[in-house]
Amino acid sequence: MSRKKVYFVCFLLHFLLIIVVCCRDTFSVLGHGYTIFPPSLEGNWREAEDLTSAALGQHLAVSNPLRQGLAAYLNGAGIDAGYGFFAPNVPSNYKLVFEVHYSDGKIEYELPHVGGAGTGLRIATLLDYVGQTHYDPLRELLLKMLAYSTWQSHPNAVMIRAVFGFVTLPNVDDFQAGQKESYEFLYAYDFRFREDAPEVHNP
Amino acid sequence: MRGARARNLLFEVLFPPETTDWLSVLRLGLGLQVIFVSMSLRSDWNHLFASNGAGLISRDLLEAISSFETPLSPRLGWFVAAGNALGFDEQTMLSLGWLALLCSGCLLLIGVFSRPAAITAWLLHLCAVNSGGLLSYGMDNFTTIGLFYLMLSPLPDRLSLDARLWRPRNKDPQIVGFFRRVLQFHVCVIYFFGGVAKCIGPGWWDGSSLWRALTRPPFNVISPETIVSWKMLLPFLGISVCILETGYPLFIWLRRTRLIWLLSVLAMHISIALTMGMYLFAFIMIVLNLAAFGPDFSFRLERIVPDWLKKGFA
Repeated sequence: MSRKKVYFVCFLLHFLLIIVVCCRDTFSVLGHGYTIFPPSLEGNWREAEDLTSAALGQHLAVSNPLRQGLAAYLNGAGIDAGYGFFAPNVPSNYKLVFEVHYSDGKIEYELPHVGGAGTGLRIATLLDYVGQTHYDPLRELLLKMLAYSTWQSHPNAVMIRAVFGFVTLPNVDDFQAGQKESYEFLYAYDFRFREDAPEVHNP
Repeated sequence: MRGARARNLLFEVLFPPETTDWLSVLRLGLGLQVIFVSMSLRSDWNHLFASNGAGLISRDLLEAISSFETPLSPRLGWFVAAGNALGFDEQTMLSLGWLALLCSGCLLLIGVFSRPAAITAWLLHLCAVNSGGLLSYGMDNFTTIGLFYLMLSPLPDRLSLDARLWRPRNKDPQIVGFFRRVLQFHVCVIYFFGGVAKCIGPGWWDGSSLWRALTRPPFNVISPETIVSWKMLLPFLGISVCILETGYPLFIWLRRTRLIWLLSVLAMHISIALTMGMYLFAFIMIVLNLAAFGPDFSFRLERIVPDWLKKGFA
């Protein structure tokens, strides 16, 4: 086989994977609704997504070498996800606030903080994941770790309450009419990191 | 006969003779991108990737989540484990990893040891992305894509220091062209599917998605009051984004529309950087566009396809 033919075969396989991944993610978007297509089609989109997932080996056992090999290639080439950023619609943004409680009843409020603005964008991605995960123990674990990171800056705190929700932004007309963003509460978790932490006295 | 002609045509399309100038753009751009990414993470690197509760989110947990789907993918934990075996602690290994990533970006920029630098940059960047799985976003994916192609491309390019120092043998122009073609097709796929995903959402047609994107933290660089004063433009801009992205695979290849499409897409990314603060995302997209369609406009595709249509089906 000539060198060009080898390149050609690699090209075909590579682009086949790219197209299948893109189709899977597009079908996923369609299957979740909120698109210009009628809701009656959502079942069909989900079936199509299922089919493309199967083509990528995602229905094989997690330990299957073919599935692992494909996943490693997709990951290494950076083609493991589609390109539907901010699509089909821009989602609400999640917000995490820490209430830092002290033994004297004092409460301080903190946001998850990082050093650079570049990392700030990454925190937003993390909060999106926390908000979208349906697995409660994982959500609690992630929030506990973020709370622990905050507690390290406040080692005297006896409890940290992580309050998680999302911010609904008004549309242009509502904003012009004076409406402000609204905060919708989703979850709250209390974390105690000091073994000798006394009871909290809320005023 | 016709099959042989079609095959020749296909190979002409996929293997157009090219100089390595586009590769210079990709190498220089990715070198800068790797440096920018490293510098943007400088103060948080060890904090983001520390394990056992010493960091923002334990790296062990993030790696466990990402390795569930891709157990064979590289991650920083492997380097840390190797360093531990040699007696180095986690913080030292993480700092070394960051320094190696920065150095690989600098080497790419000046074009010394181009291929080892490209492989190192790709590997370390991928490790960082996999170890911080939940903290990575689109920009990381595009940087991985660029580094993946750069690593496989026929380096060194004509403008690199490598080419002056070692005087490597000449590259096969058709193989150089093949790698550019791969990048061109991939960029087309990126925009097409990005555009389609926007087109199917009603919000991009009436401008409401653009409003939300511009006012949504942490992208709210411009005050909503300023955006409101330009609200009549929002539907136009939203539809323009849909048309620009979905039409990219067609209009970037047509001679009459190529320059305007490329300039419009570059303007879109510069606007994203300035109005949403997504500088790294905008930069990598500009680099990929310039490498794919920038340095020259001597695409053979537009000459081949009309000839084929005339002769092949005559």
